[in-house]
Amino acid sequence: MQSEVFAHVNPSPDAGTGQGSLAGKRVGVQSLFSVRGWPCTGGSKALDGFQPLEDATVVRLLKEAGAVFMGNTHVSELGLGIAEDTSAQAVAEGQVDVALMLDTLGEARTAAARAGLYGFKPGWGRISRFGLMGLAPSMECIALLAAAPEDLSRVYAAIAHVDERDPSMVEAQSPSIPEGGAPPRKVRRAGFNPELVARLTPGEQKAFSRAMLQLEQAGLTPVEVSLPDWDLFAPTHQVITAVEASSSCGKYDGVRFGHRASGAKNWNEMYLQTRKEAFGLLLKTFLFQGAYFQFENYQAFEDACRVRGRLIRMSEQLFADLEVLALPTLQDGRDATAVRDIASLYQAFTLTLTANVTGQPAVTIPGCLRTNGHQDIGLQLMGPQGSETALLALAQQISVQTEEVA
Amino acid sequence: MTPTMQAVIGLEIHVQLDCATKLFCSCPNRPGDDPNRNTCPTCLWLPGNLPRFSMEALEKATLACLALNCQVQQESAFDQKVYYYPDLPKGYQLSQFHRPLARHGWLDIVREDGTPQRVRIHKIHMEEDVARLVHEKEGRTTVSLVDFNRAGTPLVEIVTEPDLHSPADAMEFLRLLRMHLRHAHCSSCSMEQGTMRVDANISVRPLGSDELNAKVEIKNMNSIRHVGDAIAHETTRQETAVRTGEPIVTHTRLWDPDARITTPMRGKFAGPCVPDPSVPPIVISEEWLKERIRCLPEMPGIKTERFINSHGLTREEALQMSSEREIGHYFEAVLAQQAPPRLAAQWIATQLLPLLKERGEFPERISPEPARFAGLLRMLDQEEINANAAREVLRQLLDSTASAADIVAEGGYRQISGTDELESLVARVIAEHPTAADSFRQGTAKAMGFLMGKAMQASGGKANPRLLKELMERTLTR
Repeated sequence: MQSEVFAHVNPSPDAGTGQGSLAGKRVGVQSLFSVRGWPCTGGSKALDGFQPLEDATVVRLLKEAGAVFMGNTHVSELGLGIAEDTSAQAVAEGQVDVALMLDTLGEARTAAARAGLYGFKPGWGRISRFGLMGLAPSMECIALLAAAPEDLSRVYAAIAHVDERDPSMVEAQSPSIPEGGAPPRKVRRAGFNPELVARLTPGEQKAFSRAMLQLEQAGLTPVEVSLPDWDLFAPTHQVITAVEASSSCGKYDGVRFGHRASGAKNWNEMYLQTRKEAFGLLLKTFLFQGAYFQFENYQAFEDACRVRGRLIRMSEQLFADLEVLALPTLQDGRDATAVRDIASLYQAFTLTLTANVTGQPAVTIPGCLRTNGHQDIGLQLMGPQGSETALLALAQQISVQTEEVA
Repeated sequence: MTPTMQAVIGLEIHVQLDCATKLFCSCPNRPGDDPNRNTCPTCLWLPGNLPRFSMEALEKATLACLALNCQVQQESAFDQKVYYYPDLPKGYQLSQFHRPLARHGWLDIVREDGTPQRVRIHKIHMEEDVARLVHEKEGRTTVSLVDFNRAGTPLVEIVTEPDLHSPADAMEFLRLLRMHLRHAHCSSCSMEQGTMRVDANISVRPLGSDELNAKVEIKNMNSIRHVGDAIAHETTRQETAVRTGEPIVTHTRLWDPDARITTPMRGKFAGPCVPDPSVPPIVISEEWLKERIRCLPEMPGIKTERFINSHGLTREEALQMSSEREIGHYFEAVLAQQAPPRLAAQWIATQLLPLLKERGEFPERISPEPARFAGLLRMLDQEEINANAAREVLRQLLDSTASAADIVAEGGYRQISGTDELESLVARVIAEHPTAADSFRQGTAKAMGFLMGKAMQASGGKANPRLLKELMERTLTR
């Protein structure tokens, strides 16, 4: 059964035994997550009729923690962008407490900011990707959306476990739920980049200054930082992600599952016809780009990988002195739900894809960057590798402050 | 005619590793089972699955690299070799292209003309095998069937430098390579069963030049002999082409073993190789590598020299005893039971192994127990039995648990070495065959063979041949 929010509605959501750290929490996952026995169409004809044989690791962990599965949310084709995504709607309408999304460009943070919700993307390799219909293995990460920051912490603690079925995971200790946000004893700096702030409207700039004051109240010292290579993040992301997506989509050939074109004269024609019919225009354009860099301009791909390495090292140096980098989530006038082509897709996610390129954790906090009569553009805080727990604690602390102000 | 052209040959050898599981999942590594029996969501590459690299495959692959004197790289990584074909469920093959497991290896061969040569190995990398395709007709429609049992089974690809120059040298290199890999217990290396596949890259150039011309790849040889035949054929074809001014274009040809010719197949694959983001780079620690080196058995070349130097074997005997690890083990176990080394080597090579092969027992196992075989060899050495009797006793050793001494006693195989008994035997035979005796006395040496045969027959095959011959000669020349 389908609904406006769910591609598959769980007909009998099990209220659970009332045990486990997430007992009774209602969750939804995109139809990119394997749930045993449920259709998993990933918003694509390429996955027509596909039913996973077992649960994704993250789904299993949620079930074990007592979460109640409400359904599979609608998703843009294979998770590229948020034009068709209903995760944020599911949370905003109160149909679920927490929604889980695949975040490749910043989809979860962007959808959260647009809906006035909290969005959290952990660092790369913190949550198992086993059972995900992924597109770009080195960029993507499971991210969370919720109305209450403590829900993010709870769910994150339940699912951030090292999984031998995902060999790319960072070998790290499972996080604990933060204890009331006691700050670690050191000089805590919150960086901001004046050039990025200068791109905001005057109203947004004022809001940003107020947000920095809030961070000061939370015990962080604002410092100006320079980001000379900022404009390299988007093209680097685009070249690498297109190539990875092109490879990832090789399995959608109509041989073993999914849609298969009929009437082809031989297998080669069957492949071509199947893929022509299975993919939508936006994804197809993206796959064309990936194939171009693989077959025609491999040098550009190698360059992108090298630049990415440099951006990661630069970021490591920057964050050696920073607790967070503060920036907006959304850019005014760039509607991520109205994306029609790859260029506008990348414009809509310019401020979030940075964390995907470097694999760092980031959280978006509602209510701080809202100007009268304008949309909330979501305060985004990026933290260094391994700072997930501290970031969530900070988000909680700021949420309390924001409530007090309101 | 003096040759004016030289063949330049490089080999690419795919070897299926002897592992329990596939390279990226835990499916059994048994491609020959009923179609699509050994498959799982990972090797079928259903969405959501991630490859998990097999440590056993890394161990076996590393042993292969060490056995071929390669430098194992501290860090290596998998790439995606992208092409679309129904034998590849994900549209790319995982293979180490940019960063192989090992580089700079070598094997020393003895060339056709008897001179030694070091053949360099450029690199060894790991990769997964692809599925098997079967093309059939259902009525009038052609159907392509896919068997995924082989998809994802672990391989290493060994790439040599273009150091070889004749079919015989290439065959010698392959035999030596196979011997080394079997020794290391990495692979069964059977070309007939497809666990070793060889592609040859061939070009020709004027003798004395060091240029590298356009090369042609040949595939589809299913024995080492076919590799030699195909190289010989392709070399001649190219030499003729050069003489008639026909250009040689880089491409792939198939060897047709029945027609004994090569036929063009396709342009050489030139798809992209993109670093794979899902399999983490393989980092090898010094400690782990040391442990693999410790596990590496003595290689055949070194073993051959040791057998010559410490057991006094001839080179040929030593080569036979070191050709396979199991034979070497058995030989040394027999020596440990005080058998004379050369006699043991000769009897293992010329008597025991042929007998075991005839009975279909080798190479699965080598029997009898070393102690019982050594007992037989000691009796032979001390002339308690002769070679005829020893062959019979050996057959019985294989079918019983009795010792050689017991079988000899029970069967009355002990040879006749008593002078009195042998003297009367000789006298009787000479008396019975005066013509033969006369012709020997008049210088017809081969009459001795006749008389010896008769005497041996008369003894029931038990006479000590050395003593018998001495007595016969002494009696006739008296």
